[in-house]
Amino acid sequence: MTSSSVATVFVVDDDEAICRALGRLIRAAGHVVACFGSAQTFLSADVRTAGTACLVLDVGLPDINGLELQREMNAAGKAMPIIFLTGRGDIAMTVRAMKAGATDFLSKPVNETDLLRAIDLALQRSSHELSRRSELEAIRTRMSLLTPRERQVLTLLVKGRMNKQVACELGIAEKTIKVHRARVMEKMATRSLVELVRVTDKVPPFSASPSIS
Amino acid sequence: MTVFAVCGVVIFIVLLSFVKIRRLIPKGAPNDLASHLQRLKPAPNNYVFAYEGGGMDADPAFNMRSEHADIRQTASFRKPREAGRSFIRVPFRRFKPQRLLRAQLSGDPPKNPDKIWSDSPTLGRKEARPLHDDDPFSCALDLLPLAVIVADPNGEIVFVNVAAGELFGYPVEDLIGSNTIKLGDALKSPWPFADSLFDASGRHAEGEKSVREVVAIRKDGVEFPVEISIKHISGPTGAYSLSIVMDRTERNELARHRQQLAHLTRVSTLGELAGSLAHELNQPLTAILSNAQAAQRFLTAEPVNLVEMREILHDLVQDTHRASEVIKRIRALVKKGEIETAPLSVAGVIRDVVVLVHSDAIVRGIRVVVITAPELPPVQGDRVQLQQVVLNLLLNAFDAMESCSLPGRVVSIQSSVDPSGEIRIAVRDGGTGISRDTVSRLFTPFCTSKRDGLGLGLSISRSIVEMHGGRIWAENNNDRGATFYFTLPIGNPPGSVPSRVAP
Repeated sequence: MTSSSVATVFVVDDDEAICRALGRLIRAAGHVVACFGSAQTFLSADVRTAGTACLVLDVGLPDINGLELQREMNAAGKAMPIIFLTGRGDIAMTVRAMKAGATDFLSKPVNETDLLRAIDLALQRSSHELSRRSELEAIRTRMSLLTPRERQVLTLLVKGRMNKQVACELGIAEKTIKVHRARVMEKMATRSLVELVRVTDKVPPFSASPSIS
Repeated sequence: MTVFAVCGVVIFIVLLSFVKIRRLIPKGAPNDLASHLQRLKPAPNNYVFAYEGGGMDADPAFNMRSEHADIRQTASFRKPREAGRSFIRVPFRRFKPQRLLRAQLSGDPPKNPDKIWSDSPTLGRKEARPLHDDDPFSCALDLLPLAVIVADPNGEIVFVNVAAGELFGYPVEDLIGSNTIKLGDALKSPWPFADSLFDASGRHAEGEKSVREVVAIRKDGVEFPVEISIKHISGPTGAYSLSIVMDRTERNELARHRQQLAHLTRVSTLGELAGSLAHELNQPLTAILSNAQAAQRFLTAEPVNLVEMREILHDLVQDTHRASEVIKRIRALVKKGEIETAPLSVAGVIRDVVVLVHSDAIVRGIRVVVITAPELPPVQGDRVQLQQVVLNLLLNAFDAMESCSLPGRVVSIQSSVDPSGEIRIAVRDGGTGISRDTVSRLFTPFCTSKRDGLGLGLSISRSIVEMHGGRIWAENNNDRGATFYFTLPIGNPPGSVPSRVAP
């Protein structure tokens, strides 16, 4: 789960010869490569992004359009940086791909320096994303340890309320709030209110008012 | 077809005229068929005219081959301008008084000016006309745009019509009496009258029509292609060959134009496909480049992985072949060439085209399904032209599905042997179908439903398919879209293709 795990480059191209050749080139550059002949096999092959990974994807796949695959991966939470390869990329296609999060859009035949630079960049992005995600995961785990009351206290605290105000709003003693607050700080592994705000800010759903269930 | 119909009519007319002539000319009279036919010709020069009951002088010195006075005048036509010999009298009888007889005069003034008129310019030309009006058969023959030639078994021409004179560039009277060998290079293509039609083996049975294409020579020595239909008849007046000669120059020109047009549309189709074709070429190039660069990297490793290197080299060779195949296919379609017929695998033709449109289909989100019946017999045809038909139908099918939702975008191309024993190729799309008002004009030139279409694709496809002896048609599918069919006969014998070119 750490960024030190091996970086994998996935290649999806319906052209077997290209698949093999790209695979070789990327392997020669020192990456681990997995090649797929179609988007379907790639999707069904449960390539959970266990580590740093990126995808080199041919736009003109017969089964799924490369752009659709990208959308599907994003939807399935399997998002990883994608480098598009195209035989004839037009501007509209490039724009769409870049908007959907493509790292790069390279035209065939692709030069190794361009490809490898794009792969490095993509893997870098992937590793950033990975650490961000694991951090997020950690925060979520910690947050799940909070009791409903502690959640309420946290919500109000990160809104900038003082202990007194929180106590007033929740209708409980300020002393109790202090205890809750200490628990929250402990459970969230933060040492200051600023740190707590920063941590909770990374969890988007938290901004919505927490349910009192 | 119309040409053959015209030929039929002409032959009918000529036969009729023979029947009539035989009725008109009595025994013992100047009853040579040729003389009668000659009599019917217009007379610019050197003719004499005589009324029935009169006579005509002919020169015995010019009788080349006949002992009978009746026929001598035919012979005398050969050298009409030689003068200064004694004449023999050839009686004309049994012709109606108003019928003006005409024969060629051999130099000296006629002996009997009451009955025989020399060819004064006024008389000769003026009088020639009522003669024609009088004889519908000769009129018909002269009105015909086709050259009609009648020759005897030795190849000596006894009658030609005006069109024949024009076709070969001779005055009509120059042709009469000369040998047909003069009209066709005997070495290159023996003139069928003398050489084959009347050969000893009797290859051509009487009444049998034979049609052949030969090279003829004009008076100025220019060779030109002709199609000649010959019929050989014999009767009491002797054996004759009747032939109708058609100038093929124009038709060949037409065929050439059609070929050029087909080529042009092929090139323009390829132009539309240019992006996709570039992609087809790009694929192997991508593989080659990546393989080569991977090899460069692997070579820096110690020790070099020889297995890997061997695989890379193998792939490099394969991909290079693949790239050159694509180029070959494109070049074949762009090639401007004579139609070459050879035994072809329909499946191969389809495969070649499907490869070319492969990436175009992907871009348009269309799946192409090829269904080929096992062990299809080969057809006889021109690969490039048949590829053009398949290409055209496939691209039309793609266009028809432009407005279709993605999952339904399937074009199937199916080849099978149909019950009548022909190979049938069906290109089926799931598009909008053919509208009612288009369906009748579908295969006519300049009929198009596309915004920037020329409307030539289907009409050219039709002429190609028909040239191969097949049919092409289209039907709307029961569910949606349309299917275009064309058939090709199995084992079409070689050489039959050019003769099927529709006029």
